[in-house]
Amino acid sequence: MLVKDYMTRHPLMAAPDMSLVEAQRFMGQNNIRHLPVVGDGKRLLGLVTRQSLLIDPGRLGSLNVWEIAGVLSGLKVKDVMIKAPNVITVSQDITIEEAARVMVERRIGCLPVVQDDVLVGIITEVDLLAHLMEMMATRHPGIRVTVRMPDVRGELAKLVAAIAAQGWGILACGGVAAPKAAGKWDAVLKMRDVTREEVIAALSQVEGHEIIDIRDA
Amino acid sequence: MQQSHKPQTPILDVRDLAISYETRYGDVPAVRDVSFDIQRGEAHSIVGESGCGKSTVAFGIVNFLGRNGRIVNGQILFQGQDLVGRSQEELRQVRGDRIAMVYQDPMQALNPSMRIGDQMAEVLVVHRMMPRARALDYCVTMLKRVQMPDPENVIRRYPHQLSGGQQQRVVIGMALLNDPALLIMDEPTTALDVTVEATVLDLISTLQREFDTAIMYISHNLGVVARVSSKVAVMYAGEIVERAAVSDVYLSPYHPYTQGLMRCVPRLGQSKRESFLYPIRGRVPSPKNLPPGCIFEPRCDYARDLCRQRRPELRPIKLGHWGRCHFAEEIVQMGWQPPEDFVAQYTAERSVDAAARPLLKVTHAQTFYPVASQKLIGGKKQFVRAVDDVSIEVRKGETLGIVGESGCGKSTLVKTIVGMEKPTSGDFEFMGFDIAMPVSKRKLELIQELQMVFQNPDSTLNPSFSVGYQIGRPLRRFQTVPRGQVEGEVMRLLDMMKLGGRYYNRLPRQLSGGEKQRVGIARAIAGRPEVVLCDEPVSALDVSVQAAVLNLLLEIQKEIDTTMIFIAHDLSVVRFFCDNIAVMYLGQIAEIGPAEAIYAPPYHPYTEALLSAVPIPDPRAEQKHIRLEGAVPSALNPPSGCRFHTRCPRKIGKICETETPPWRDAGNGHRIFCHIPLAELRQMDPVVTVRPGNRLGRQHA
Repeated sequence: MLVKDYMTRHPLMAAPDMSLVEAQRFMGQNNIRHLPVVGDGKRLLGLVTRQSLLIDPGRLGSLNVWEIAGVLSGLKVKDVMIKAPNVITVSQDITIEEAARVMVERRIGCLPVVQDDVLVGIITEVDLLAHLMEMMATRHPGIRVTVRMPDVRGELAKLVAAIAAQGWGILACGGVAAPKAAGKWDAVLKMRDVTREEVIAALSQVEGHEIIDIRDA
Repeated sequence: MQQSHKPQTPILDVRDLAISYETRYGDVPAVRDVSFDIQRGEAHSIVGESGCGKSTVAFGIVNFLGRNGRIVNGQILFQGQDLVGRSQEELRQVRGDRIAMVYQDPMQALNPSMRIGDQMAEVLVVHRMMPRARALDYCVTMLKRVQMPDPENVIRRYPHQLSGGQQQRVVIGMALLNDPALLIMDEPTTALDVTVEATVLDLISTLQREFDTAIMYISHNLGVVARVSSKVAVMYAGEIVERAAVSDVYLSPYHPYTQGLMRCVPRLGQSKRESFLYPIRGRVPSPKNLPPGCIFEPRCDYARDLCRQRRPELRPIKLGHWGRCHFAEEIVQMGWQPPEDFVAQYTAERSVDAAARPLLKVTHAQTFYPVASQKLIGGKKQFVRAVDDVSIEVRKGETLGIVGESGCGKSTLVKTIVGMEKPTSGDFEFMGFDIAMPVSKRKLELIQELQMVFQNPDSTLNPSFSVGYQIGRPLRRFQTVPRGQVEGEVMRLLDMMKLGGRYYNRLPRQLSGGEKQRVGIARAIAGRPEVVLCDEPVSALDVSVQAAVLNLLLEIQKEIDTTMIFIAHDLSVVRFFCDNIAVMYLGQIAEIGPAEAIYAPPYHPYTEALLSAVPIPDPRAEQKHIRLEGAVPSALNPPSGCRFHTRCPRKIGKICETETPPWRDAGNGHRIFCHIPLAELRQMDPVVTVRPGNRLGRQHA
């Protein structure tokens, strides 16, 4: 579960001399929100986002209509892009959660993935959401159950042992410190080929554990 | 991993592409109306016979059309941007190093005077301005990824010091250095041996997954395509006639051309009967002179008036399956049966008298080529042991197939028999005469009885004499017919070759490859020889032509009862054709026996590997995965003991390295040259198993 497994390789990219008008059309046509700008050898020079395409009205305020048209048509990608040193990038060998952390902290939606300054891929928030989806086995039908347990070592093992005793397999599994209950831990599990009732019957046997949510998913 | 959340912009989207070449006689529309797309990380093949425009499409994409070629219509969208009509500089920017190409001949793609490491590093130093030392490190990593043995050593070598398979690995590695989004491969394995081809194909599939590179794979070989790609477009005379997922095209082809193509590919099926070839009549129309309606109409068995009048469009026939035929659904409904007389004609038993004295008997034959010693003074003379202790027998009317990788001595053996090489030792007996001498010392009658058909018809026909004269020459020389009847006899031979009298005055350059090979065959059989030796007579030909030539050889054999020795590099071709097959490895016979016995256990481990390497144009076929490491060792210094031990996946131990293996007799003339006991060899599973399913051409009935 590293960036290299989830990024988009060979993303669409632009040359620095592409006109802004063309870049806008290109991004619209291909339905992308981020366009890396590369030079020779796919070295990352900058990044164009939807924001970069918005032109500061202050820049045009002093111009007349004819001049505006001229300035707009003359604008190149390199004039509006976020320049390379300011683009936040990651390496392809970091974990996907590390990439998520960078994106959350910097409040950005996309990270170009580079290796030796060369663009090898791009990872966006959509990729991370897709990753979350995959982790929870969203595409496979099954029973999704959330169990609240004491935040003590060995509790999850008890739960897993109870499931193993039934001979069931676990499709997906995740856990977080319970959001509003101190000292508790919430584990989310997904199992297939079982019924709701069977799950409730089996898991309510585990001492100290409480099913706080169960649903077909 | 599911990828469906990714934006679906195809890496390559070709729309209505038309490419013409300007010639003195006006524009030649080489490619017309070609549309296809390749998704990210997908392998898409384009198949077709030679001259149908596959490579032109590829060259159009990378703008290598040459001075006289130009794109007259259409769009080539690469990663969303159109490549057509841009200047070189703009193209360089758009395309950059995001498209790489691998060609057929690796030796031509590598600079012979530069070390591998320098050539590869140059790509990085120039494109990425990487320091040289780091670039070299990176190249070693890349060579490891393309499964090159000993990469640290390889980067210091020159291209000629690598085998063909290794060279192609270097070229593929070099193409991947810049991590291209699209890799165009133009017949990358055609120049390689089957066993090497199999490993390179495995590599391509691995790399495609690992690098997420879209691959456009051009090939004439339907078997190769089935192995590497998920989608395929079939091209015919400059147009795509059918496009769909591989399994759809192979199991339920809609277009009559695709159907025909499937029937004329030699395949390793279940039985001998399945390996019959049904050629497509006629020939590919020249792009200068296309029929007004459907381009396949002149050769189509189902052609109707509409086909002659209106050009069909490439239309969706069912989801994900496009075809260019007016009546595709109807044709598929009709089903297809092999013409009964056709099958009967080729299955009729030939009478081979097993008890008869062999017509040709070779015992303990050795043919060595002397090589100058490497040492300056003294030093022993060395020999390339091209044929080393080979014994074969051929009875009258029989066909012996000889199969093996290149460099295993097949051709040398045949050339020695025919007298073009001088044997070093051994007994060569033909019709009771000793023929262990070069052709120049043989009696004319003897020469007449032993004739040869060569691999490359271009280089065997004299370009300045007419076809008729060249076929007549052996007739005059051997005085087969009285002088006055030579012309009539030539006409008869031309008819027999299905060429007709109008070819009499043509020059070789006015003939297609298949026609030239027919002339070559006619010339070989003109003197009514007892034995015809065929050295890969169909390897240089397209599948549909190949089928016709093979069937022609069969007919001739039936008609004039010739004895034949037939060399092939691939086991799929010889199956239905030969009575006996010998598998050669490094100058020796590894296995010999009746044709059917070779294809079923017990196998020699080498035969097993050969069979598992042959690409099968049938997605239902399952093959054992056996890959031989490395190349055939040098015949200058062959391995001790069993010569195959260096590459043998079933090596049993020290004995293989030290002792010459015994001949294991599996009965009925089937003998295996191996240390493994026969009982164990019999336990092997068959290499090819075909899952039960519908048979080709009848699936919709």
